[in-house]
Amino acid sequence: MAKEIKKSCCRMCGMLCGIDVHVEDGRVVEIEGNKNYVANNGRICIKGSSGLSQLYHKDRLMKPLKKVNGEFVEIELEQAMDEIAAKLKQLQETYGTASVGVWKGEGTGFAQQEELARRFTHAIKTPNYFSNDTQCYAGRYISYNLNYGTWPAADFRNSKLAVIWGTNAPASHSYWTQDINAGREKGGKLVVIDTMYTDMARVADLYIQIKPGTDGVLAWGLIQQLIKQAVIDEEFIATYTHGYAELEAYAKMFTPEYVEKYTGVSQAQLQEVVDLYKVATPHVSSWCGTGLEHQTNGVSNVRTVAYIDALIGAVDVPGSMVTLDGFGASHLEIELDDELVELAIGKKEYPVLYGQRGECHTLLLMDQILSEKPYPFKGLVMTAANPALTNANSQKVVEALSALELLVVKDLYMTETAKLADYILPAASYLERSEIQYSGINQTVKLTEQVVDLGLQNEYDLFKGLADRLGAADLIPWKNEEAMNRWLVEPTGISYEDLAAHRDGYQYKPLTYNKIQGAHANGKTPFNTKTGKIEFTSEYLRDMGYEPLAKYTSVPVYIDRPETDYPLVLMTGARKVMYFHGRYRNIEQINKVMPEGLVELHPDDAMNLNVQEGDRVRVVTENGAIEIKVKVLHEAEIFPGAIQITHGFAKANVNMLVGDGTRDPISGFPALKSVPARVEKI
Amino acid sequence: MKVITIDSNKCVGCRNCEMACAYQRTQETCAYSESNIKINHFIEERILLPMTCLHCEDAPCMTVCPAKAISKDEELGVIVIDKNKCAGCKMCMLVCAYGNIHFDHEALVSRKCNLCEGNPKCVGHCISGALQFEELETVMEKERLKTDERIKSFLRKHGE
Repeated sequence: MAKEIKKSCCRMCGMLCGIDVHVEDGRVVEIEGNKNYVANNGRICIKGSSGLSQLYHKDRLMKPLKKVNGEFVEIELEQAMDEIAAKLKQLQETYGTASVGVWKGEGTGFAQQEELARRFTHAIKTPNYFSNDTQCYAGRYISYNLNYGTWPAADFRNSKLAVIWGTNAPASHSYWTQDINAGREKGGKLVVIDTMYTDMARVADLYIQIKPGTDGVLAWGLIQQLIKQAVIDEEFIATYTHGYAELEAYAKMFTPEYVEKYTGVSQAQLQEVVDLYKVATPHVSSWCGTGLEHQTNGVSNVRTVAYIDALIGAVDVPGSMVTLDGFGASHLEIELDDELVELAIGKKEYPVLYGQRGECHTLLLMDQILSEKPYPFKGLVMTAANPALTNANSQKVVEALSALELLVVKDLYMTETAKLADYILPAASYLERSEIQYSGINQTVKLTEQVVDLGLQNEYDLFKGLADRLGAADLIPWKNEEAMNRWLVEPTGISYEDLAAHRDGYQYKPLTYNKIQGAHANGKTPFNTKTGKIEFTSEYLRDMGYEPLAKYTSVPVYIDRPETDYPLVLMTGARKVMYFHGRYRNIEQINKVMPEGLVELHPDDAMNLNVQEGDRVRVVTENGAIEIKVKVLHEAEIFPGAIQITHGFAKANVNMLVGDGTRDPISGFPALKSVPARVEKI
Repeated sequence: MKVITIDSNKCVGCRNCEMACAYQRTQETCAYSESNIKINHFIEERILLPMTCLHCEDAPCMTVCPAKAISKDEELGVIVIDKNKCAGCKMCMLVCAYGNIHFDHEALVSRKCNLCEGNPKCVGHCISGALQFEELETVMEKERLKTDERIKSFLRKHGE
């Protein structure tokens, strides 16, 4: 029996842990954590080891499907590619080149896949690139970039204080749990601020339960006290920041009394946090999750939290927020003509989203498909995304995607979205291709090994094949993914062969501190913002006509609404350890742990509603209603009056409850975590 | 000889260990109830305590078993139940002071941690670092260093 271990990166979520894939006679038999990989140190979560079940799942799509008279029939890949290309061509000729686009999902590849998808859209003369980043990630990317001109990484392993806002590492950034614990083991303290008592909160020195959507007020309150109690670093502020006077003046109103009234966080707890800052500064790191991002004031929430790090000089020193060195690989993006850029969906409404991320707006896409205004959008190629479950207002998503003249879905399985497609292309999974993957703060790059070949097409061959057929072969010229990977690493100083030989990852540069201080000493402006400083007042936003300071103005809609039709506030999107958004409900052993969606609520609310654990209830919002089973939490586990439903369950799809009209004015994100709701007993 | 060590201060109760253990044993479910490792979560006290067989030096389960189904592999330091010999009397479950022996309701025999033949899945899935699988000597060395550190801190505070 031929036994070997192949080295890859896990893609069962976005953390890219190093994995050892055990192969016997050409067949994968087990997936374990790679003990030599710097990020996860040999450990993986249950999703990671279940990658084996996904690889050989009986429901894997193996043949391309075409919808004929409402039924899917198998066709050959070449025929599918020819027909898809012909249809795209026809749509572009009839309705204009921007009438088609690409939606990059997260189910298959990662690092280079995004840039490749962007390159392909531009190669075929459309600006319309979409992804799930417009519901997770892009809001925080924008926030940090507005402040810093980059998104610094949290140096948890060396933090004397880590402050975690609205995110739960064990479920969403698994190996950070080890990093946070490594900091704690050296004496570092941990504060978790969350509406829910999360896994991470259980080991926090201080857990602060906050009213949904009010994190911005708490952050401003902290700023007010850090200034008042002289915890801030005046020299750092004077040297490296811009707009302090405006920040200081605005912070004044956020007194401890005001904070307590608005957020539910006591004045004593606020002081406890300040005291922890006093001891730990400047070796303080912080992280914001979707709890802050999925709000109408999402970008301002995150920017305000990021202000704190800058105010105490917790930038680029050990244990703080550190700027990273890049690998220096080539980028795949290509320019697009200005008049086509102007047609990007959502660019007018959310110019910062488009300007900072080059992302089009997925919620507005649905409106545009249905209204054909300002121009018809008719064809969409989607790689392993499932917006019928994961985008806000699922009813509209299904209606809009069904109205397309061409929907192509490339995925591993038949999903709720794939069912709406005209063509389904079976996708190669991460174990069936070789990709370049990165591990941020470890400054490590890894070329993953192709473990097996099941004869399925990867994303590169999809985009290359379509580009060839659409007359854009010169813009995606590489013969295959490996040839592209070779091109990508050319300018980095390490050869493709050397990179391939570093199967446990190649650290291109050790993490260093004081880079910004060094740049400043050399007379350079260390931050990639308009002023070259950390901008409390964003000059980029000011130029665009927005308020430059992250004021707490876009208040969650439930707060000032006295009406009693919807007395509860629904939060969605809390991650579960065994799932990744809409995925893995079909992996049988995992599904047995959590077979259906649950509405999680406070025992007092359960009592008021006269419902018990296991009862079925109807959850109703202005957008819709679903029936779902009750899970009564411990009273410490959730803010009273708040309920939580995790997304991704087809039979209790919470995105039918979430409207698409209540959005953050800068990022365009839907307010997934503060939806007025009621629960009805059935 | 390697042992599983538990740092309850690091455990976040994510229960990946339980899911991995359940699947390793059954090959069909990750259900927590099928696991041999248990996470005890005392929410009001804010305590998390992973519990799994300690493979005791002088194991009461082994002594009490009337079917002589429980034995110790001296080399690996692992106490195992031979399910072909186990009569399902549950004496071992009763005698284990830590409640680390469970009952397999399908096979009608006792079940417990067998260290997965030297590669415990719970440790490989412990994303917090609370569980370690280490040589006994390494564990003792670490404990000694920790004690030294505590003595040093004490002396620094009170030694003058």
